[in-house]
Amino acid sequence: MAILSDAQRREAWAEMMRLGGVSIAKADLRAAFDAIDDWLDANASTINTTIPQPARSGLTTPQKALLLALVIRRRYDVGA
Amino acid sequence: MATTRAVLTPLSAEFPSSAFAALMTVNARPVLAFDAATDETAQWTFVAPQGMTGTLTAVLSLIGAAASTNPTYWDVSVEAITTADATDLDSADSFDSINSGSVAMGATQGYMVQLSITLTNKDSIAAGDYVRVRVTRDANNGSDTFAGDAYLLAVEIREA
Repeated sequence: MAILSDAQRREAWAEMMRLGGVSIAKADLRAAFDAIDDWLDANASTINTTIPQPARSGLTTPQKALLLALVIRRRYDVGA
Repeated sequence: MATTRAVLTPLSAEFPSSAFAALMTVNARPVLAFDAATDETAQWTFVAPQGMTGTLTAVLSLIGAAASTNPTYWDVSVEAITTADATDLDSADSFDSINSGSVAMGATQGYMVQLSITLTNKDSIAAGDYVRVRVTRDANNGSDTFAGDAYLLAVEIREA
C-alpha cells in the first residue's frame, strides 16, 4: 500500500480532531500521525511476511490492508 | 462604564456559502463548532444602536472539545454600511481589516473562557449603520494549536 499523500494525512488528522478529546497540540498530533504512516510504509514488507501461507499469497494487497485495519480496529474497540 | 451594544448568539448567526461553522448543540446549548484544521466563519447582522461612539470590543465566549490549554486564534471583522455608501450590497462585501486575538482554552473540558478583541478596525461604524460582524477561527494560524473543535457560545459587542 502506498504511503498517504499530504492531503490524505491532513484529512485524517482533521477527522481525528473533530472527534474531540485530544489534549495535545495540533502539530504534535500530526507528527504522530505522520510517524505511524511512515512506519507502516517502512515495515510493509515485514508485516507481509508475518502473514502465514497460504493467506500471504492468497490475499490481495487491499485484502491484507483491510485485515490489518480490522485487527487494529478490533484492538481499539476492546481497549487494547 | 462599559455598555453592551449587541449580543450575538449561535441561533442568530448567518453563514457564508462555504467554510462555515457548524450549528449544533452541546448539552442542549446552541453552539457554533469551529474546526481545528480549516478556517471557518459565521457572521451576524444588526443595526448600530444610537449613542454608539466609543471603542468597541468583541467578547467571544468559548468552550473546547477537549481538556487543553492550547490556544485558539480568532479574527473578527466589521462591515458598516451608511446610507448611500458606494457598496453594492447585491454583490459585494465591504468588511474592514481583521482584528485578531488568541485565548488559552479551558484546562477542564466544558469550562468557559472569554476572549476580548478590541475592534480597532471597525469600518467607521456609526449609530444607525447596517452592520455585519464576521467571526472566523484562524485554524491554520501558527498560534492556534488547540487540536479540537472550538465551540462559540456567544459574542458580546461591548463599548468601553
